[in-house]
Amino acid sequence: MYVDRGRELSIMVFLGGLGMVLAVFAPEFYNAKNASDILVNISYITIAAIGMTAVILTAQIDISIGAILAACSTVAGLSAKAGVPIPLVFLYAIATGAAIGLVNGLLVAYARIPSIIVTLGTLTVIRGVIILLTGGTWIYDLPANFRAVGTGTTFGLPNPVWLMLLTLLIGAFVLSHTRWGRSLYAVGSNPAAARLAGINVERTYISVFVLAGALVGLATMAFATRFTTVQSNTGQGFEFLVITAVVVGGTNIFGGSGTVFGSFLGALLVGVTGTALTFLHVSAYWEQALQGLFILLAVALDAARRRGALEGSWVRRLLRRSA
Amino acid sequence: MKRVWIWLSVLAMVLASALAMAQAGKKITVVMIPKLVGIDYFNATQKGAEEAAKELGNVTLRYVGPTEASAAKQIELIENAIQAKVDVISVAANDPKALAPALQKARDAGIKVVTWDADADSRDVFCNQATFTGIGEALLDSMVDQIGKNGPAAIITSDLTAPNQNSWIAAMKAKIAKEYPNFKIVDTKAPGEDQQKAFQAAQDLMKAYPDLKGIFALSSVAFPGAADAVKQAGKSGKVAVVGLSTPKQMAPFVKDGTVRDVVLWNPIDLGYLSIYAARAAVDGTLKEGAKIKAGRLGEFTVTKDNISLQILLGKPFIFNKSNIDKFNF
Amino acid sequence: MSLKSRPRTLNIPWSELVLVLGLVIAVLYMNSLSPAFLSLSNFFEITRIVTEVGLMALGMTLVIITGGIDLSVGSVLGLSGITMGFLYTAGLNIWLAALLGVATGALCGWINGQLITRAGIPPLIVTLATLAIFRGLALGISQAHSFGNYPKAFLALGAGYLGPVPNQLFLLVLLALGVGVVLARSTFGRFVYAIGNNPTAARFSGVPVNRVLVWVYTLSGLLAGLAGVIFTARVSSARSDAGIGTELDAITAVVLGGASIAGGSGSVVGTLLGLLLVGVVRNGLTLAFIPAEQQAIIIGAILLVAVLLNQVIRLRLGRN
Repeated sequence: MYVDRGRELSIMVFLGGLGMVLAVFAPEFYNAKNASDILVNISYITIAAIGMTAVILTAQIDISIGAILAACSTVAGLSAKAGVPIPLVFLYAIATGAAIGLVNGLLVAYARIPSIIVTLGTLTVIRGVIILLTGGTWIYDLPANFRAVGTGTTFGLPNPVWLMLLTLLIGAFVLSHTRWGRSLYAVGSNPAAARLAGINVERTYISVFVLAGALVGLATMAFATRFTTVQSNTGQGFEFLVITAVVVGGTNIFGGSGTVFGSFLGALLVGVTGTALTFLHVSAYWEQALQGLFILLAVALDAARRRGALEGSWVRRLLRRSA
Repeated sequence: MKRVWIWLSVLAMVLASALAMAQAGKKITVVMIPKLVGIDYFNATQKGAEEAAKELGNVTLRYVGPTEASAAKQIELIENAIQAKVDVISVAANDPKALAPALQKARDAGIKVVTWDADADSRDVFCNQATFTGIGEALLDSMVDQIGKNGPAAIITSDLTAPNQNSWIAAMKAKIAKEYPNFKIVDTKAPGEDQQKAFQAAQDLMKAYPDLKGIFALSSVAFPGAADAVKQAGKSGKVAVVGLSTPKQMAPFVKDGTVRDVVLWNPIDLGYLSIYAARAAVDGTLKEGAKIKAGRLGEFTVTKDNISLQILLGKPFIFNKSNIDKFNF
Repeated sequence: MSLKSRPRTLNIPWSELVLVLGLVIAVLYMNSLSPAFLSLSNFFEITRIVTEVGLMALGMTLVIITGGIDLSVGSVLGLSGITMGFLYTAGLNIWLAALLGVATGALCGWINGQLITRAGIPPLIVTLATLAIFRGLALGISQAHSFGNYPKAFLALGAGYLGPVPNQLFLLVLLALGVGVVLARSTFGRFVYAIGNNPTAARFSGVPVNRVLVWVYTLSGLLAGLAGVIFTARVSSARSDAGIGTELDAITAVVLGGASIAGGSGSVVGTLLGLLLVGVVRNGLTLAFIPAEQQAIIIGAILLVAVLLNQVIRLRLGRN
């Protein structure tokens, strides 16, 4: 199992740089309320990113998770409104995500269709089915106990942040300290070798897609509950956000290396730039270009580090010292 | 000789009206294209359109739209509708310019074009829900009434390219320049049709501009998102939120005092009116100054505008505590 | 596989045969759905609508054969249109503006290529980032305004006909022929397949991998830029949000056409057939007034079934 801690450091350096710019030009950025808001806003991205990390570790990809988020949110919203007890509501959401993930996984593992194609197909199918079943109506008047899950606090921290931290801890433990977790790295680095080592590669593929779907279902606890309306067409572009978080966080797109903590840092980078640009009073017209540039810079900085292009430079020394 | 001419013209008139009557009785197919399907606002317009088609009895309604608000997908639908030789294309345009060539092509092929909700540069008639100036000014008046003549306020629109939103903003800014020169608009955010982004935009604005007193939220996604952010930040009553959305979605915020006024028109009525306009367009009764009957909505006067003809649904409607529960959309 | 041998997709065009069969079934079925479907003018209308995605899919075919992917093409389409519109509105000659629009596309592709080969960042990540950057630049440059009022001669590029044939179809056919011949007959084409089959082996056998890759991405950007100009001419206005999501349409066409996303296989003929299949199905379903959400389900299912069939055939052939 190969873990490149350098990427995490690269993002920290990048975030540190952004942090300094903010400290100089918008010191009001730094307050507890803002920090807590940012963490709440990235919680659902991080939770989904943990599942995506597992998928990408095995050298697969899942671009259907935006559609899965819409499906799970709709299931959660409808069942909450129908008076289903709250724990069951989320169980349903998680089961929905897992079921869709199972379909993805089966198609990838046994039909041997590349995952980007499978999930491109299921993405359009899921979105179509949702509109077909709900008629495209949005869900209002959500019960108070449903909304309390996403808007309430426990011991002073917002619930979504607890959920994110808990999932992160469990995810990190499972990936690095269990047989199954380590098998993901093996399958991602070299499926043939993994098979020889006695790992059931097909079952591994299925399991990561089920996990990714289930975690998107879990993410609805930190997403659908936070708004007054559940939109049946929600989650457009969610897959790009999550994949960006994961790959910026250092997970190798070709599989075999990456960490859950890196994905959290990636989500933080994705989540913090929008807020930072508002505090810096940057015109909304240039926001998207700058956000893309930030992502590219973070990745390019790391690529340069790996290639030793910064050998002898201050960035390099800094990276080495902090390592 | 003179008499012959009179007879001839009478004959021509009879023939023309017979032709119109033949058209008038004819069963027509109307393709109605919303900006996108799968959202509540356009579900409501569909409901109104279906009601009108059923009442008329001689209109076959085909309600088809893209799953995302895309001009290119709408053009594809229009081109296909031309091939299918329908009688009327009725569209809420995602882009007034981009749709124009396709719509012009349809008109050249003898198809009547009705626009509604969002106009296009080529059409036979536009069913205008409320004038841009009317809406822009209603929004600004409500805001000034709540926070005073100096602002400061921020705007949360949908996409920066959204034509309706841009026209409302222009109308607001024009009135500010004329009547409230000290009213400050500090920032404009464009979260698209994404509730998380809209929510976050409102959150960020309140923190980045601590003296912010008002937020204009100009889409049915931005308005509840912004209201919710204000409420969760404990700033209900301190930061006013004014915007456009459906009453059912905003009712909780109006009742708890976070939002005072919701500006909108009745989307069911808009869909309903557009079908009567489509019928009138085929029947040939659409003329400047003519009055057309639209079922339960009564009579509307057709006016001329800089492109062709226009029918105005009415003044923007303001929903507040006293009336918001009466509406079920 | 030695560099001299022909790519295997040319020898066994099974995936193309499956597609032709699929296309025939689709046409027969659509004809039964709507009487307006089977006519020459409708056929040309389909080709008119799919031309922009087709241009992008040509470039994408090369990219995918090398084992890469280009998610930025939809944004490049938007940025090229805006560049052209901006320059024209600023007073530049329309043809010069259009040329610079296409050149902008090529530049975007070149930047992608440099980032992929020089910085060594995987194509998916590079183009995911540039997808946001190029779209953001289009939005920033245009300040969300649209640019219109083009001369008639220019609009003819996207809205004119020669007889019943839409003008842009000539362009698509010509470029498809060009790319097809280059891919199947030239050294460059063999390099492209070689890189996709095994980049390391290709490098050792003397293929200038980086140079070829930069060319491939530049070409992909150039074709997307051209698509931006054609799209602008077709709808008569340039907007910063033009072409959102079309990268997935282009990828769908290429993959339907039998290209393997892992690289090494794929052909222009296949891509064109894939493009046509999606176009025919969408057009037919729309003519029958099937709602968009049901169309999405049908097209998603077709994609999965087609790829599955390809997979089965490939495995069978492999066994024999």
